[in-house]
Amino acid sequence: MADQRNSTFDPLASWRNWLSDAETRWNSFFNQMMGTDQFSRAMSGFTELFLNVQKSMTEAMGQYFSALNLPTRTDVISQGERLSKIEERLTSIEASLARPARAGGAPEGASIPVQRPPRTKQPQSKREGSR
Amino acid sequence: MSSAAASAETADSSIASRVRAEIERAIQRNIKGLQYLTSSPPTLGLTPKDVIYSRGTLKLYHYRPIAGEVYRVPVLLTMSLVSKAYILDLAPGQSVVEFLLKQGFDVYMIDWGIPRPEDSRLRLEDYVLDFMPDCIRRILADSGEPDISIIGYCMGGVLALLYAALHLDGPLRNLICLTTPVNYDGMGLMRRWSDRRYFDVDRIVDTLGNVPPEMLSASFEMLRPVGRVVTQIRLWDNMWNDEFVKSYRMFDRWAADQIPFPGECFRQTTKELMWENKLYKKELVLGGRLVDISKIRVSLLAVMAEHDHIVPHEAAKDLVGIVSSPDKSEIVLKGGHVSLVAGPNASRRLWPELDRWLSERST
Repeated sequence: MADQRNSTFDPLASWRNWLSDAETRWNSFFNQMMGTDQFSRAMSGFTELFLNVQKSMTEAMGQYFSALNLPTRTDVISQGERLSKIEERLTSIEASLARPARAGGAPEGASIPVQRPPRTKQPQSKREGSR
Repeated sequence: MSSAAASAETADSSIASRVRAEIERAIQRNIKGLQYLTSSPPTLGLTPKDVIYSRGTLKLYHYRPIAGEVYRVPVLLTMSLVSKAYILDLAPGQSVVEFLLKQGFDVYMIDWGIPRPEDSRLRLEDYVLDFMPDCIRRILADSGEPDISIIGYCMGGVLALLYAALHLDGPLRNLICLTTPVNYDGMGLMRRWSDRRYFDVDRIVDTLGNVPPEMLSASFEMLRPVGRVVTQIRLWDNMWNDEFVKSYRMFDRWAADQIPFPGECFRQTTKELMWENKLYKKELVLGGRLVDISKIRVSLLAVMAEHDHIVPHEAAKDLVGIVSSPDKSEIVLKGGHVSLVAGPNASRRLWPELDRWLSERST
């Protein structure tokens, strides 16, 4: 019995157990605290502050960039939108170009022809049942 | 020598060997700790694949089959909008994609990509009435099959459910929802923090456009406030263990690699799902069509994690009870939100269940 005890002896095991228990206890404690209306209100106040700073900065930077004759974030986003539309048009042109190839037998949306395995696999249970 | 003396000697040598092992570990911790700090993060999502379709940031992958024979019905994996898809393809031996390929499934995945600022206008309708049907049409054409199975993880499961409810006449055959919230009243702290009395979602979206990933990761971390500190201590404790460190780095890289949430979609999710719980109440309207998940009749498997702190059991448990599928089941597995799908525990618990359930329904 003494051997059994000794063979599983781990000097750091109790510390590891304590760590896991402490993690559970502290998480639970903080979760209770964060589940209150006061916390939600405080978090909202913090978000509000962050958004106000963000908005003021965006406006100030926008004016600054305009004065320097540089594109603002709004300008970059609108350029991005135009690029996305060009990408979509290119995709549809690619699809139109691929149509003649499909007329020759390739299905719509098919990738580059590759050797595909047969789609005949049966589940283990059916394979065993048919034996 | 008496037996008492012999056992005392064995005890001494056992303690000595343990102490020696601990000293060796302490040395290894220092050596490997330095290596950890100086080496680059691991490369993830390496299972060979082809992009068969792309549209904006969306990419539709087809993974190259590994098995010599595959099941007839192709499988589509859909991810959440707030996380990168490579959690389902971490590394060889820790990838659910690789596992499914080895079991003989023909696997596709939608990677939503990183939303651009202009994507802040995307709504749930865009995902479930446009992008998903578009991708599924292409998968059916690519595979030459008339039907498909979908595995949705977290919010990817919500998208899959919405798609299923809005396309009752096919081509969906099997649906697997992993940790998928249905009853948002059960979302615990997330619901409290987004309380409409305090949480001004309009202001956030109107000011920021897409919701920044830092905001999302901060809220996920706040669900387990001491989790990060304890994880760092555990990392130091296990620094001698290469497997532990490798696994930690993969998960840590993924957790730190969050993506923005498309603004309009966030507004819709907060107001209609979190506040009004419209998915559960069957009152959600997308593109002028009512989303009634109780009309879903495809084979359905709902999988939940026992210790899921992001999607608690309360939020996910009602799915099987709501849908009308004659063939439906649910499993609650040990583990958390992420360890359910990826990592060594997932390979023992979830993956064999997926294979068992899906293989029977994929011929």
